[in-house]
Amino acid sequence: MGERKVTVAAEVGLHARPAATFVQRAKQAPMDITVAKAHGGDAVNAKSILAIMGLDVRQGETVVISAEGEGSEEVLDELAEIAGKP
Amino acid sequence: MTTVLAPVEGAAVGLAAVPDPVFSAGMVGPGSAIDPLRGPGEAVAPIAGKIMKLHPHAYVIVGDDGRGVLVHLGIDTVQLKGEGFRLLATEGDRVRAGQAVVAWDPSAVEAGGRSPVCPVVALDALSEAVTGVAQGRVHAGDELFIWE
Repeated sequence: MGERKVTVAAEVGLHARPAATFVQRAKQAPMDITVAKAHGGDAVNAKSILAIMGLDVRQGETVVISAEGEGSEEVLDELAEIAGKP
Repeated sequence: MTTVLAPVEGAAVGLAAVPDPVFSAGMVGPGSAIDPLRGPGEAVAPIAGKIMKLHPHAYVIVGDDGRGVLVHLGIDTVQLKGEGFRLLATEGDRVRAGQAVVAWDPSAVEAGGRSPVCPVVALDALSEAVTGVAQGRVHAGDELFIWE
């Protein structure tokens, strides 16, 4: 299982544009991808905008993005970049 | 099937008319948008369900079937940090379709240099799942679109 730990840098948190961009990228990947807050809580489906909005990640909070399977390392790198973008 | 109601009174203009590409390109999801009537008003729940997220400028209602609808009151209104918005419900509340959720004034948003246009989005829906999209004048609580 691959993981990336990333601190969300956008002022709006993982909402609006960052959330939509993140979910769009995740949906292009064939494998299951999850996101959880680093300090506990349930992992949610990274391909669901509803789930990501429900996770309610604010600026400065750290999330763990997880996936496994062929190509997952590349997807995780791209998702971490989106989530970490100011 | 879910009937999604207009959360505010105004002109149904479609998502393409929203001056924010995240919404106009359908990145958040399919749906519609309303150019609201200017002046103080109340934004209502577009469907019955639980208020999953309640910000002054935006809210998400999730129905019993798990479908979530986002209402965003104006564009870039997160920057207002709640000023000019008054919550009429609490996150986690169960609401009826058409129940008031936030009081606001689109003309104040506009006076601040922002668009008061309200996207109403079917979250995680395929674009072809949204049909019967209303056009033109709608009252709060009128049918805005059908989520098949």
